[in-house]
Amino acid sequence: MSKKIEYKVPDGYFEDLRTRLSAIPAQEKQPTRFQKFAPYLALAACFAVAVLAGNLILSRTAMPAASEDEIIEYLINSDITLAQIEDYLISNN
Amino acid sequence: MVCQYSEPLYWHIRALVGSHEDADDILQEVFVKVWKALPGFRGESSINTWLWRIATNEALSFLRKQKVRAALSFSSIDAEAERVLDSDPWFDGDEAQRKLAIAVAKLPDKQRAVFCMRYFEELPYEEISAITGTSVGALKASYHQATEKIKASVELAD
Repeated sequence: MSKKIEYKVPDGYFEDLRTRLSAIPAQEKQPTRFQKFAPYLALAACFAVAVLAGNLILSRTAMPAASEDEIIEYLINSDITLAQIEDYLISNN
Repeated sequence: MVCQYSEPLYWHIRALVGSHEDADDILQEVFVKVWKALPGFRGESSINTWLWRIATNEALSFLRKQKVRAALSFSSIDAEAERVLDSDPWFDGDEAQRKLAIAVAKLPDKQRAVFCMRYFEELPYEEISAITGTSVGALKASYHQATEKIKASVELAD
């Protein structure tokens, strides 16, 4: 039995094939600069969204800053003495 | 590269899949993959081995899909192999060659690839091993099993 199977190809097939295969690199477009940087842009966008969302959540859930009157009221009602307050202010200045 | 390798790669794929149209489609896919992967080719294997590996994987992938398609249409693999060969206008073999081609087509995919590379392309086992990633010992066993199956298949058809 022959070691080859008698397959044929159309006339001029391999010339045509070489032409078609040589044209593939031109058909396969090189990625644009935007396409190259798209993954990094996507990463930066995700980071920005995370930061904005974090800020939004914090601003909605954080306790509002106490006013000076409220602080004074708190200190009066607490057991802290004036001397302790003075000591604290002196040690921090 | 195209000038040097397109024809031998075509015959490699053709031996595996049988049909001219399918071999043509697969070869184009192979070269698309080759062009894309070429910048990353580090020369860890020879360009020959690399190209044959891509072509073999692409052809095996095609054969798997073909088998699934045949199963979904409730046709047997054997009947599908005969149908593909008989409907191919680019097969010019005699009856003995038809039986050989059908017997080869009935082999399991990987065994078929080993048989084609060894029998038709006469590649050394070491080269086939580099292409398929299978040990030489396993390849020899696979080739022996393939020849036994083909002999049985051809004798049954006589």
